[in-house]
Amino acid sequence: MSNAAPNASPPDEALIETAHAPLSLDTDVFPAGINGALHRWSRCDAQSTPLVASPAAVAWKPHRPRVVTFGLRFPEAVAFLPPPASKEPSELRPIAPPPPDPEAGVDVPEPKRQVTRLKPPADALSLEDRLFYLLQPPLQTWLAGQELIMPFEPFPYQYEGIAWLFSHSSALLADEMGLGKTMQTITAIRLLVRSGQVRRVLLVCPKPLLPNWQREFRLWAEELPFVVVEGDTDRRKITWTMPGIPVLIANYELLVRDYAAFEDGEFPKFDLVVLDEAQRIKNRDSRTAETARALPRRRSWALTGTPIENRPEELGSLYEYLEVIPPRGTPDLKQLQCLSKQFILRRTKDLVMKDLPPRLDRDEVLELSPAQRAAYDTAEKDGVIHLNEMGDSISVQHVFELVLRLKQITNWDPLTGESAKFDRLEAEMEEIAESGGKAILFSQWTKCIDWLAERMKAYGTLVYHGGVPGKQREPILKQFKEDKNSHLLLMSYGTGAVGLNLQFAGYVFLFDRWWNPAVEDQAINRAHRIGCKSQVIVTRFICKDTIEERIDRVLREKRELFASVLGEGNNTNRSLSLNAAEIFGLFDLKARHGKGVRSIGPEVPAA
Amino acid sequence: MSSGSGDQLRLGFLAAVEDSERGVVGGLLITNRFGRPLEFQCTTPVKPNRTQQILYGPTLRPFLLAEVIGRTLVEKVSVKPHLVLVETAELLELRPHVDVPIASLFTQADADEDVGFPLGKQRLMFHGDFAEDRDQIQRRSVEVPDTADLQEPFERIREALAEALKTPMARSA
Repeated sequence: MSNAAPNASPPDEALIETAHAPLSLDTDVFPAGINGALHRWSRCDAQSTPLVASPAAVAWKPHRPRVVTFGLRFPEAVAFLPPPASKEPSELRPIAPPPPDPEAGVDVPEPKRQVTRLKPPADALSLEDRLFYLLQPPLQTWLAGQELIMPFEPFPYQYEGIAWLFSHSSALLADEMGLGKTMQTITAIRLLVRSGQVRRVLLVCPKPLLPNWQREFRLWAEELPFVVVEGDTDRRKITWTMPGIPVLIANYELLVRDYAAFEDGEFPKFDLVVLDEAQRIKNRDSRTAETARALPRRRSWALTGTPIENRPEELGSLYEYLEVIPPRGTPDLKQLQCLSKQFILRRTKDLVMKDLPPRLDRDEVLELSPAQRAAYDTAEKDGVIHLNEMGDSISVQHVFELVLRLKQITNWDPLTGESAKFDRLEAEMEEIAESGGKAILFSQWTKCIDWLAERMKAYGTLVYHGGVPGKQREPILKQFKEDKNSHLLLMSYGTGAVGLNLQFAGYVFLFDRWWNPAVEDQAINRAHRIGCKSQVIVTRFICKDTIEERIDRVLREKRELFASVLGEGNNTNRSLSLNAAEIFGLFDLKARHGKGVRSIGPEVPAA
Repeated sequence: MSSGSGDQLRLGFLAAVEDSERGVVGGLLITNRFGRPLEFQCTTPVKPNRTQQILYGPTLRPFLLAEVIGRTLVEKVSVKPHLVLVETAELLELRPHVDVPIASLFTQADADEDVGFPLGKQRLMFHGDFAEDRDQIQRRSVEVPDTADLQEPFERIREALAEALKTPMARSA
């Protein structure tokens, strides 16, 4: 402290007092615990760790996961011996398609290769069954080439029919007449047998059609053995029970009779039963229908050409046979429609027209009725004896007369009026009329035409031949065309001026054949000309084991020779008809030669 | 072999179908030389787990198809084929694992070149390390018709496998 007096005496020396201010600060360390630590060095230890240590490994080996498989073995199919190399030439004559119009510069498009796969039926529920169908090759490859030889390629709609039949255990094939039900059935049977699905098949048909079915089997399933049930009772019984026959063919009457002769439950079982002309069992209570239903079978097929869906009562009987309705069942309209969709397949001509060629020829081989057979055999024997007795004074004319007489008998038996051809015609006209179609029938005898006209009145039959006065001809044609109820026109080969146009008729019947195929063709051309759009089905009746068969063969060979030399075409060359040698060759003519006989007749010229 | 055809040529067709949920299903169809089926084996669906998917990576698919499915089927089938056909070259990897020649069909793009071994309508490719396969099959190739479409049975198999995928595969061999 200074007490400086603020007086103004000039100090010499002022007195300054100072005081001592200590500048050092006293600090003390706060005694916290870390003090010690702050003085300490961190301790350093060395520890050795081996660097090479095996790491723990999670083991994962690639392995094949266990795979479960599901297998399907196909049933062993039946393998047949191939048919012997030399066999008779094919029995159908191919018709060449209309030649393409040379003016049109457009290429004919190549037909698309259709592939028809088998579809499993709706009622195949197990996986194995469904796979069985899906794994089959398409029908076209199956039927082509070596595996199954088909004489002709089926049309697309026929492929579908075959596939449909193959996969149905109950089926009613009701295609319109002429569309090839027989062929489709036989091919389906063939496939079923070949794939091991069926081993025994029974086919039932009307008696006159037996030779036709035999022929068709030989043509379409040449390697499939079949046996016809015929002969006396004992022989038939053996045939029924003989094992190892894939296909048995029987007619309705024999079936009913033989079935009754077996004990209960003794009748042999079949994997497949096919009824041809199934309208035979339209009456539920008939013995035929009862027998058909009672046959032990796994699959049931029926074939008919009538538009059967229009007749519910008959349908009921058929459905009962097919085992799709209960016994005595009466389905109502709605159920019938349902059933039809599932179990009936019907195609009509106009529907499949684009698949068919414009002209389809079919030969119907018929067996003569018993009375006809007797009359024919007698006439032939007597006639040949007579010719032989004439020795060398024989001429073509004599042979001709005999031939004509025999041909007339094949048309109908003069004594009893029985006629296999007529029966067949009637059955087919029924189908045609029901479908609303029209047919023209040709015969070389006006007497035959009149005879037919008498018996076919139900079809509104009209007659057009030389005996009809000129004034009436035009109206007759008009009526045939316009009258709905007029289904059949009978004509003789001779009549018919150029310019007749009957192309609305879908069917042509050749009741008996003319000598010259060119004349036949001309006749057919009334209903169809090459290049026209309408479609015609030509049916030729041929009686088995008669002169007609032999004539047919010779004519066919001639035609084939002609075709192969000159090519197909619309030729009307007269030399196509039989020449003298061939006419003689129709009979096995022999003349007495010393003690024995020698063959006589002009020599057939070397081809 | 129980069938009476003896030593006739038998072909095998191996194909697979993939379902996103259930995995891969493979099928082997054995046919005679005309394509008519003799036996069919198919697998239950095979679905790889996540580990396998990751670790195998791009090799998973050939592994599954060839070693797992293909090999199992070829071993399991009772009617043994003389030749197994596949559609893609990646399945040729099956060859080292089985005893039967494997051949792959040429795809359309390669069809122009004149390579490969002709059989039926197609041309075949064999595994590179197994040259003797080609000679072995060449000797028997006459038994297959020239018009045979070897692509067609694969479609059948695929349809069959699709059908099998639809049903619950409770049934096993």
